[in-house]
Amino acid sequence: MIDRVWLIPALPLAAFLVNGLFGRRWLGRWTGPLAASALGLSAVGATLVFLEVLGGRAQSVVTLYRWIGVGDFRVDVAALVDPLSSVMLLVVTVVSFLVHVYAIGYMEHDHGLPRFFTWLPLFVFAMLVLVLADNYLLMFVGWEGVGLCSYLLIGFWFERNEPAMAAKKAFVMNRIGDWGFTIGMIATFLVFGSMNFREVFEHVDIASQGVLVLICLAFFLGAAGKSAQLPLHSWLPDAMEGPTPVSALIHAATMVTAGVYLVARSTPLFQAAGPALAIVGAVGALTAIFAATIALVQFDIKRVMAYSTVSQLGYMFLALGVGAPVAAIFHLATHAFFKALLFLGSGSVIHGVGGEQDMRKMGGLRRKMPVTYWTMLLAGGALAALPPLAGFWSKDEIVGAAFTNGYPLLWAVGVFTGALTAFYVTRALWMTFHGQPRDRHLYDHAHESPAIMTVPLVALAVGSAGVGVALGFPPEGGFIHRFLAPVVEVAGHTAPEHVAVEYGPILALAAVSVVAGLVGIGVGLSMYARHRPDPSAVARAAGGLYTVLVNRYWVDELYDHRFVDAAKAFAGATWAFDIHVIDGLVDRLGWVATGAASLLRRTQTGVVGNYALSVMAGLLAVLALYGGLATGVIGR
Amino acid sequence: MTAVPLPAFIAVSTLLFFIGAAGVLMKRNAVVILMCVELMLNAANLALVAFSRRYGSVDERGSVFVVFVFVIAAAEVAVGLAIVLSAYRNRPTVDVDELHQLKG
Amino acid sequence: MDVVGLLIFGALAIGIVGAGLAVVFVDRITAAALLMAFTFLCNAGMFLLLGAETIAAFQVLIYVGAITVLILYGVMFTPQGDRPYALFFQKQTPLAGFLVAAVAAPVLALALTFRDPGIAREGGGDLQPLITSIFGDYAVPFELASVLLLAAMVGAIVLVKRDEEDAK
Repeated sequence: MIDRVWLIPALPLAAFLVNGLFGRRWLGRWTGPLAASALGLSAVGATLVFLEVLGGRAQSVVTLYRWIGVGDFRVDVAALVDPLSSVMLLVVTVVSFLVHVYAIGYMEHDHGLPRFFTWLPLFVFAMLVLVLADNYLLMFVGWEGVGLCSYLLIGFWFERNEPAMAAKKAFVMNRIGDWGFTIGMIATFLVFGSMNFREVFEHVDIASQGVLVLICLAFFLGAAGKSAQLPLHSWLPDAMEGPTPVSALIHAATMVTAGVYLVARSTPLFQAAGPALAIVGAVGALTAIFAATIALVQFDIKRVMAYSTVSQLGYMFLALGVGAPVAAIFHLATHAFFKALLFLGSGSVIHGVGGEQDMRKMGGLRRKMPVTYWTMLLAGGALAALPPLAGFWSKDEIVGAAFTNGYPLLWAVGVFTGALTAFYVTRALWMTFHGQPRDRHLYDHAHESPAIMTVPLVALAVGSAGVGVALGFPPEGGFIHRFLAPVVEVAGHTAPEHVAVEYGPILALAAVSVVAGLVGIGVGLSMYARHRPDPSAVARAAGGLYTVLVNRYWVDELYDHRFVDAAKAFAGATWAFDIHVIDGLVDRLGWVATGAASLLRRTQTGVVGNYALSVMAGLLAVLALYGGLATGVIGR
Repeated sequence: MTAVPLPAFIAVSTLLFFIGAAGVLMKRNAVVILMCVELMLNAANLALVAFSRRYGSVDERGSVFVVFVFVIAAAEVAVGLAIVLSAYRNRPTVDVDELHQLKG
Repeated sequence: MDVVGLLIFGALAIGIVGAGLAVVFVDRITAAALLMAFTFLCNAGMFLLLGAETIAAFQVLIYVGAITVLILYGVMFTPQGDRPYALFFQKQTPLAGFLVAAVAAPVLALALTFRDPGIAREGGGDLQPLITSIFGDYAVPFELASVLLLAAMVGAIVLVKRDEEDAK
């Protein structure tokens, strides 16, 4: 199967083409099952590839064709199949498949359904190209592709203003990151003479420290844009304007993890550029706590999840920064499951209450939507990192690595954020499913979602529960560690986490994290179940701090004022220049031509005699010239 | 027959030519203009024959050219009058100062 | 000195120039046309004086015969009413007069500087050499000229043809 690994992205591409060309007129509702089946087959293919890599084909390059060959610059369309990419393949295809199935039910009544199932498989295709690429340029093709599909899908309901603006915002912020990626790519080629991963990583020693730091920071800028890290994070909460399956797939499980994948794949580069790694870790930690604080006070259920995603992505970058790339990928995998589940569950809730997203209007829904409730409860527990659910194993490893690799401040931030995470997820779940229904009308009409939506929820729940244990037990020595270890140590650079595994400190750190989580849950339950203290009282008491959080630190307003207005002013200035100077120049040239023509037109009197007269005048001129020449008056 | 000097003939020809040219440029009636053009052609013929007979060698190349000028003149008068008649049909005038529709 | 020849030349010259001026300045068109014919005749006389009899014959035939008639036809078919149109001058007359005079003066001066080579010509007129040249060296241009005449004839007919709608 590895030799036919290109079938895996080819199937969703085919689905895109078929649905795009024939979906609206002929296929109609069949576009959904068609896309889902393509994804299902891709998932099967990904599983086979994974098993083959597991069985011993550790690293293979499958080349399709030579794309660019100009002098020294050579780029192939080729797939690098190794443990890292096979794990990503599996995660992407499985979660995509479940989301496609769910979306068949969720988008059932939407008149744009064929268009939805055109863009969604195209997105998966781009993501798979990104994951499989064996060089930076091909990866960038996928990178841009997922950005495009993100734009198309966020703005899916473009008839309304907010989704259109959110899509634009997402695309523009991504573009800033893409600029960083491009600089990194070009610099890589200039320094190493190639964009191919293997060729670059084998010759890391060529470059000086400073140059490497620059390259890594450029790539990290790209990752920050794509994975919504500070300061390029604010597009992700706005992206919730898109349909919930889009939020689940793109903005939780796959596209936003592309940044993490990029940095993880470039581990040899980053590990040779120490300051860059430190910056990655710091930004990740800062983002994690920043986003978690905002999630505490949001009332839109999808926004809570969006900020949670930003926060959890921060954890992944934190892991990369402290030298634990395996932990980052591990958390990426577990997060994909439980975050997708949280989003799909939110979508199920929204679907069940007829479109309402404000949690203040919900309450007591667990009796009306049991399957949704129990699966979301499980996912919430995974997010809060309760053992033995998936999130516990991966998140704990991150904070543990932070401590053991010598970053106590980052460890503390991680633990505290974990407490905040547990709090806000408890709050969200309680406000939605428990207590007294706050809107009677809403409650009466609430209903559970159809099976086509709940079955994927259950499947993801199984994943959220079990993936952690399956991949990461025992800590530091689990399957995923052994599986990914060869990838993160290249040409003699050993992964820093290869210290002797001692279970004592690990258990102690784990205990601290778990306690923090339980504290968070406890405070949440106390405030929302027993109103001790009452949440509104706390809000009033917090006063200024609360206002800051509710306004999301006014980041969007800052960007609007500083950058957007400046850009608009610049645009206005250039427009004025274009209209007045450039157009003016052209217009004046036109006036000159017209004016000259009006003047010259006076010679066309229409009276033939005048023309004959001019002939005579010309004859006189010729005679004068001849005479002048003959008599020597005119020279030569 | 060599009594009359050549320059005399040429002078007469020149005078006739420019009288005709003046008529072309100064008269209003289109038919009169055509007549003056014939005067100019005659002047040219006179000069040609004079040079041919006084300067030329054995063959009469100048006179041959005169024959062609006859032909051309005849054709030109025919067509020119046709044009004048067509213009006259449009508006009953042959005043060239009034036929200025092609102005501009 | 051939006094007779000079006298004849003088008379013809006065006839040509005078009649030409009259064509330009006379008010009645018909008179102008006939004076033009007189100019043609004097020109024929000039040709005779030069010894080009054939050309003189052609001159009379074509110019005095055909072209004068054509001009008279043109005069007949364009009646202008009461006003003596022939007298009127164009608006550009002063400028035209100046230009013509300015060009005529140097040319006239140049014309008077020619030398008479005094070549003796064999007698017998110009018929033989003329026809030999036309049908010998210049046969093709001769044919082309006849084509031109045909084209002019057709063109003139087409130009003055009335359309069927005009006649109705």
